[in-house]
Amino acid sequence: MNPYHNVKAQWLAYGVFFALLALVPMLVSDSFLLNQFATYGVFGMLALSISLCWGFGGILNLGQGIPFGLGAYGMAMTMQMQTQDASNPMPPFMLNNSLDHLPLLWEPFRQTALGIVLALAVPTLFCAIFGGLMFRARVSGPFFAIMTLAMLSAWYTLILDIQPYTNGANGITPPSPLKLGDYAVDPYSPVAYWSVLALLLVATVGAKLMTLSRFGLVVQAVRGDAERVRFLGYNVAGYETTVYTIAGFIAAVAGCCWVVLTQYVSPAQFDTTFSLSMVIWAGIGGRLSLIGAIIGAFLIQGAQSYLGDTFLNTWLLVLGAFFILVVRFLPKGLAGLLESILGRFSTSSKSNGNDVAAHRLYPQPGE
Amino acid sequence: MSFLEIKHLCKSFDTVPVINDFSIEIVEQTLCCLVGPNGAGKTTTMDLITGRQKPTSGQITFCDDDITGLDEHQIARLGIGRKFQVPAVFRDLSVRQNLEVAFSRSTNPLKNIFRFREPGFSQRLDQIATQTGLTERLGVEAGILSHGETQWLEIGMVLMQDPRLLLLDEPVAGMTEAEIEKTVSIFKELKKTNTLVVVEHDMAFVREIADVVTVMHMGSLLAQGPIRDIEADPRVREVYLGDEEG
Repeated sequence: MNPYHNVKAQWLAYGVFFALLALVPMLVSDSFLLNQFATYGVFGMLALSISLCWGFGGILNLGQGIPFGLGAYGMAMTMQMQTQDASNPMPPFMLNNSLDHLPLLWEPFRQTALGIVLALAVPTLFCAIFGGLMFRARVSGPFFAIMTLAMLSAWYTLILDIQPYTNGANGITPPSPLKLGDYAVDPYSPVAYWSVLALLLVATVGAKLMTLSRFGLVVQAVRGDAERVRFLGYNVAGYETTVYTIAGFIAAVAGCCWVVLTQYVSPAQFDTTFSLSMVIWAGIGGRLSLIGAIIGAFLIQGAQSYLGDTFLNTWLLVLGAFFILVVRFLPKGLAGLLESILGRFSTSSKSNGNDVAAHRLYPQPGE
Repeated sequence: MSFLEIKHLCKSFDTVPVINDFSIEIVEQTLCCLVGPNGAGKTTTMDLITGRQKPTSGQITFCDDDITGLDEHQIARLGIGRKFQVPAVFRDLSVRQNLEVAFSRSTNPLKNIFRFREPGFSQRLDQIATQTGLTERLGVEAGILSHGETQWLEIGMVLMQDPRLLLLDEPVAGMTEAEIEKTVSIFKELKKTNTLVVVEHDMAFVREIADVVTVMHMGSLLAQGPIRDIEADPRVREVYLGDEEG
């Protein structure tokens, strides 16, 4: 049996992976670098959500920036309102846009708890409604991908256009870190890093359990043949909406973390290239592997940070070429490469003809 | 109480009528074979019963429930299972997982997130795997099964649903003689406890298993009765059996 498919070995790999990541603050003394690593954790969550939606559910989602951005705006509004008080009730940019009172849209964000709840609930609800409408009408495959892309552009334009409420292209820059009660979350501290890592861990374990549940099995069946699943008595739209919404919720959490770490949000979070790069992370790391997708995000964003300066404007070209190579030669991404290496290793040591692992090595029709 | 009853069913694609005032009643615990020349509307009838297509007019009742126009999953939950003409299995899942998906007692997505084992599954799996001869192949990916095995897997999946009515579209298409023989024995076993409607072109197979044969032609009922009467019927010989039987 290929150890890659052994669930116990997978959990062990998860344990080692997260234990190593937890050690990072001991080794990194530069707080700016630590903050950067924490943002990689945010990208990891986004890649995880894509892997869940696209890899397991077969729903190619090019608009994951929507729940991410909405979550980020919600959190930014909450943090902005924390710095306002009775004598100074409105964020400065609103005054510049000649508003004379705080808009209704901003009112709930004066309470931190309600603000955070909204930052998570609004994007999740949006995904549930948008996904529900689309999937019930049996919009699927490339058509759904195009709809998400169109929706993403619509949000981008909307956020940009309602400048008095969102500060348009300048975005929102909360002047001080998030305060939870009396505790201020220093975005450059190991605590912030560990918090993001803990959320990533919870999301990964939750997602993994979900793929092992009956829900995960049905979702994978829907990926294979949605039509067939219907005739087995499952409401396919319900399953698609649920997996799309859960992925959206994870992206919303990532959006909140992003603003806590960077104290900044702008329409760039709704940019199509950002949402597309999430798909590229998952594609390169291996969309069928949750942890593969996370590692894909780390690798690509890490490379962008360090090589991006060297290549400057040609970076996107390099990334695109790399993506084409992966799609052509490693359709299951880097995780797929590991899978076939481990498979070769285990079949050469112990050959068993009636084993899934053994068969995985042979080219399969339809792949 | 009637089991499955189709009354004055009509279906047109644009203006082309495919099913034309088709009425039929299926009696419980019989095996009915649906035969007819290509384009007679056999598969469309199955689509209409299972909700894949909505009828233009007419009514379908199942155990006195009106199922006309319901969605596929609702009809499946009422106890109608279906095997497709082109075998439809989940190729990238293992045979075991295929059968697990088909064991669809709980269908709520939110509840299924917290459900890892289905009570009664392993017993049923043993039973169905033995019945369809797939016990040795449970760990294999469904995509690498032979054509005959794929057909049996899909039959197994339908059985997993434990349906009251099984609709099987060309279950022996592309099978070798030996495989057909095995399928015949599976069906003879099934006949004892289930109601089956089988669309099939292979007259030898039909002769072997059918209690009742229904002949369709141009979207309407041409003849219905035991196989001996059907083969003697001059109208049936003319439109369908003519060439084959000389």
